[in-house]
Amino acid sequence: MPAEQTMTLEIFRYHPETDSEPRFQAYEVPYDEDWVVLDAINWIKDHVDGTLTHRWSCRMGVCGSCGMMVNGDPKLTCAAFLKDYYPRPVKVEPLVNFPVERDLVVSLDGFMEKLEAVKPYIIRDDVNDTSGGEYLQSPAELARYKQYSMCINCMLCYAACPVAGHEDEFLGPAALALGHRYNRDSRDRGRAERLDVMLAGEAIWGCTFVGECTAVCPKHVDPAGAIQQAKAVAAQEYFRRFAMPRGAKDAGA
Amino acid sequence: MSGRLHRPQRWAWFLERPGYLLFMARELTGFFVAGYLVVLLVTLGRLGGGETAFAEWLQTLSTPGWTVAHAVALAASVWHSVTWFAAVPQAMPIQLGEKRLPAPLAAVVMGYGPWLTVTTIIVWGVLR
Repeated sequence: MPAEQTMTLEIFRYHPETDSEPRFQAYEVPYDEDWVVLDAINWIKDHVDGTLTHRWSCRMGVCGSCGMMVNGDPKLTCAAFLKDYYPRPVKVEPLVNFPVERDLVVSLDGFMEKLEAVKPYIIRDDVNDTSGGEYLQSPAELARYKQYSMCINCMLCYAACPVAGHEDEFLGPAALALGHRYNRDSRDRGRAERLDVMLAGEAIWGCTFVGECTAVCPKHVDPAGAIQQAKAVAAQEYFRRFAMPRGAKDAGA
Repeated sequence: MSGRLHRPQRWAWFLERPGYLLFMARELTGFFVAGYLVVLLVTLGRLGGGETAFAEWLQTLSTPGWTVAHAVALAASVWHSVTWFAAVPQAMPIQLGEKRLPAPLAAVVMGYGPWLTVTTIIVWGVLR
């Protein structure tokens, strides 16, 4: 019987109760070409080391929970196959540009605050008034924002963005792409409210169009493109407010 | 207990991904575009200074050092332009109903096309 093939996972470990510094721990895992990195981490958790902490849920690229750095690249570990790395070791770390809670789990607090700030939902005064029936939308109107609505909040784009790593005021790729998504929605009337947030400080202007957010996005949302388009809208609004300081704010969509 | 672990960004972050290096190359080549502008402004200044001053400036620009500098600046400026034209379809997509104009075509329509048109007009104006 042939010996079982194995490969090595070097996993970032940090337990705040006991560790003052992080460390890497190597684990030998069975190699199966159908396995993804998440399968290997789950195998370690189930069979070798129950103290290993990681976040996951759907295993099919929908929930956005299992984002980690795999050999330095932000990846959904449910979509990163071991066969693409075998036989070399795989180094797994928590997403960079986020504080680490424990092992491979990062804190979501900062991201959630930024996401909330752009009001990623339809805003309109008559939202409870259904007397006029549905808010109709043509396929062309849907096409204006559909791509940007595919975000699963996996935060890989924040890990790929060098600006997100050092500029706290920057709202970041996913939040800005989602803000842009609602600004382009024909049913929405909240553009002025979102622009108030986007125009502040480095909220949107921090983006230097590195473009790696788009490169790593597993859902092809293209946050970099969304941000550049949002910048154009924000710039128009900035000059409008400058020219007419007492005038009406952007009226909406 | 030390709480959440904050990992500061490395100062050499631009070495961590090939995409970061390409970004830095795009940004740094902007200095050469600015250099071209300075040379143009000086040239205009010398032109305003009279025929002799202008002829001396042209003589200076024809020295080997300036020729090499121009070749390097031209290459850097072309790279700068090409990378920005590649980004144009992302920043300014052209929506046609439910479809979006394909990126290569959008780059031609909004980047290479106007660039070639303006360049042709300038070359024609200089050489005719």
